[in-house]
Amino acid sequence: MTYSAKLAALLGGSLLAGMAAAQDLPGSFDGVTVQAKLIGGQQYEALYARINEWQEATGATVEVISKKNHFELDREIKSDIATGQLGWCVGSNHSSFAPQYPGIYQDLRALLPEDALSGFVPATLDAATLDDRLVMLPRAQFDVSAVYYQKSLYEDEANKTAFEEEYGYPLAPPDTWDQLADQAKFFADPPDFYGTQYAGKEEAIAGRFYEILKANGGEFLNADGEPAFNSDAGVAALQWFVDLYAANAVPNGVPNYLWDDLGQGFASGTVAVNHDWPGWMGFFNDPESSKIAGNVGVAPPPKGSSGARSGWSGFHGFSVTEDCENPEAAASLVWFLTNEDSQKMESAAGPLPTRSAVWDHIIAEAEGDEYRSEALTAFQVAAEGAYPVPRSPSWIEMTNVVYPELQAAILGDKSAQEALDAAAEAATNVLMDAGEL
Amino acid sequence: MKPWRLPPHLLLLLPAVLILAAIVVIPLGLSLWSSFTPFRLTRPDTMYDFIGLRNYARLLGDAQFWSAFGRTVLLLTVALNLEMVLGLGLALLIERASRGQRILRTIMMFPMMFSPVLVGFQFKFMFNDNVGLVNNALQSLGLTDRAIPWLIDQNLAFISIMVAEIWSSTAVFAIFILAGLMAMPRDPLEAARVDGCTPWQTFRYVTWPFLMPFAFIAMTIRSLDVARAYDIIKIMTDGGPARRTEVLWTLISRTAYSDARMGMANAMAYIAILLSIAFTLIFFRQLSKARSQIAAEW
Repeated sequence: MTYSAKLAALLGGSLLAGMAAAQDLPGSFDGVTVQAKLIGGQQYEALYARINEWQEATGATVEVISKKNHFELDREIKSDIATGQLGWCVGSNHSSFAPQYPGIYQDLRALLPEDALSGFVPATLDAATLDDRLVMLPRAQFDVSAVYYQKSLYEDEANKTAFEEEYGYPLAPPDTWDQLADQAKFFADPPDFYGTQYAGKEEAIAGRFYEILKANGGEFLNADGEPAFNSDAGVAALQWFVDLYAANAVPNGVPNYLWDDLGQGFASGTVAVNHDWPGWMGFFNDPESSKIAGNVGVAPPPKGSSGARSGWSGFHGFSVTEDCENPEAAASLVWFLTNEDSQKMESAAGPLPTRSAVWDHIIAEAEGDEYRSEALTAFQVAAEGAYPVPRSPSWIEMTNVVYPELQAAILGDKSAQEALDAAAEAATNVLMDAGEL
Repeated sequence: MKPWRLPPHLLLLLPAVLILAAIVVIPLGLSLWSSFTPFRLTRPDTMYDFIGLRNYARLLGDAQFWSAFGRTVLLLTVALNLEMVLGLGLALLIERASRGQRILRTIMMFPMMFSPVLVGFQFKFMFNDNVGLVNNALQSLGLTDRAIPWLIDQNLAFISIMVAEIWSSTAVFAIFILAGLMAMPRDPLEAARVDGCTPWQTFRYVTWPFLMPFAFIAMTIRSLDVARAYDIIKIMTDGGPARRTEVLWTLISRTAYSDARMGMANAMAYIAILLSIAFTLIFFRQLSKARSQIAAEW
């Protein structure tokens, strides 16, 4: 780093402290180049247009050296760690992936003034803090699920009467996981129509299992960090998936389904109820993409037997590497991409923000749009009870040994207890191999 | 005293040796070394912890690894044999065509032009239980009223993958065998006919022995492909559900990159390479046998 660049960075850093809080230009970094590895994809691109604004304002240059989906970016970052090539500065990050990269990202609290961080939802900042280090600033790509349903099915008088006769309580959008299962079985008419569906592999099913487990009062890892999901709460959670599959209330291909399959399935009008992410909000109600546009209702995520709602959440963010030569400039860019204006722009397209003021803004904007207001209210309830995955560097690796066992139970190869016991043993080995136990 | 110099022939070979070392030997050596370590991508320092044969010892007792190994052998055996039979049939039919043989040969090669990833997506969609072409066709024809779980059921998922593999690669066999058929001298066939051989006898004792070397070359090439089968399976089932279609390379890639356990993945890969070597040796031996038989008989 040249002397002038160092001076610019130093000046920039001090300017940054004064300006960030005021939602103003984040410093001056003339001649500095910030290399970035960013998540790519249609829904993430709009924000990157703002990078030009930051460049003009600071005099710095951003060089995007990699743009990939998160799974590919994850592999690339792991390879960078293995080869020690972490000289780039800004990287896209995700709450599920972040614990895997111990020590490669800087503590942003040390780079940014406290009031620059005050506008974020506190629970989200907590979730972005690992080992007392704020490793990323969350962007307006917060994910927590809620229940989408076909309204007409719930308004149909014949359905209401028949359901109450069969299940003994009135038909209404599900408030618990048990109610969701009852309704899914009631509405199912395979192979033309299914009651519900779920993602059946990889982290997707492990995450869904995790949130039903938590809603049932169980824990994935106990206080000592040992796998504890083969408890009664875990068996009940897994049995929920098993029963729906056995009752043909879900498509029999679900063990191979991931998020896109679920979104397309619900939009095709062949599924009654769908617990899904906020990113689909616009898609489901758009006549161009959805056969059920205008007929979609949204309810908060269901409660488990403990009375708590499910709230497995994740969010995208930006981090600054430890090896970055200009961390102040990088932190400025990260802050800029997650400030109020950036979040307003991103959330206008549907994704949920991670700043309180932007939440207020999008709810006010949605006034008069019944569907969007209802959806945002449901997702706001979901966000209040949201929690991330266990903060273990081995989370993804554990899900890789857990999900085949969950599938084995769903397909009837093992009982729920047998599958969870085998999964817990495999997850224990993963944690022991990683030196976490 | 004259200074020692590298002999010219060695000097001339040196660039090739250096390039080969950089491209092949060093990466192979590094991956072999890492298979004796607990190397994790996210903890580069683990590359220097020598643990001897512990990765290999763990694999020896790992039922999931050996299931994947067995499934890979099964896939190799069944896919190669079916591809050879179908390729032979295709080649014989095309060779018989008196008109449009060039167009037919080009059409036959179409599947090879698709990337395996595209083939995977295409067949994943076709075999989708809900919106797939196969189930919709069967239901429309009244042959079934249920959604057949093509990519879920143990046997059906394996068959679906096999169909995709065979569709994409049968042409390799057909082309090799067709080349053999076109290069075959006509005299022995005419002699067989004059001697009163039936068409089957002509094929069995004259045509097939001549084609065998071509078939074994195709077998060798395809055995390496199938033993590394990854793309199509990754897209169609990713080894699932419940590890029902797990083969060596889906397991190895997950271990190496998702789990970041590169040391263990390399140990698996070295065992997998033994499998490829074994199949290649078998086919080379068969190839030499077939060649000597032709040399003796013709």
